Amino acid sequence: MANTVIGSSIVIDGEISGDEDLIIQGTVKGKIQLKENLFVENGGVVEADIETQTVTISGQVTGNIRASDKVEIRADGKMVGDIKAPRILIADGATFKGNVDMDV
Amino acid sequence: MALGSLRLMKEKTSMAAGGPCIIGKQITIRGNLTGSEDLVVEGRIEGTITLRNHLTIEESGVVEADIDVADLTVNGELRGDITASQSVSINASAKVVGNIRAPRIIIEDGARFKGSIEMDVALPEGVVVPR
Repeated sequence: MANTVIGSSIVIDGEISGDEDLIIQGTVKGKIQLKENLFVENGGVVEADIETQTVTISGQVTGNIRASDKVEIRADGKMVGDIKAPRILIADGATFKGNVDMDV
Repeated sequence: MALGSLRLMKEKTSMAAGGPCIIGKQITIRGNLTGSEDLVVEGRIEGTITLRNHLTIEESGVVEADIDVADLTVNGELRGDITASQSVSINASAKVVGNIRAPRIIIEDGARFKGSIEMDVALPEGVVVPR
């Protein structure tokens, strides 16, 4: 399946929706709604509310996340905002500020 | 083991970084998109696109946007005004509605187009442009 890649020099101001994997290396502001996996790579900047199945953060995310499966903040990831997901992983070295809701 | 698999994943994703930026078939973007790298649209974009490089709209792509690019290639559907600093090519499978302004415009046999075209041509002397 073809992935969608938002390249490092691309800036999107608005809404992204769809049902395939999305890789962000550039900048996205607004809203992201996916039925699949979202990867914010090192260098990627997201200022958006996110609704997906899984989110993997190696870049910078500001906004609230609602994931139906998993949120993972890698060692080089930075995240500010609230997370609601059944599984949340925060790696050693990651930066995070916000609330976590795991439906406990 | 875990480190190895992580490294493999990193390699895989950096490989993806080598190609052009692709908006896949299942993706819809509403809003403004700007950038300075080649962009391939297989999905849907509504809004505006400002790009310093080459924009390609593939057969499955649907774009409803005003576009400001260097080069544009259309194989799919496009509605909106186009300003290109270099060239616009509308290929046989394309359907375009809008006005085009570019120094070079190519329309292939089979393409459907509705709108005006402005190529910045120096008119020969004595020609009166009808108003």
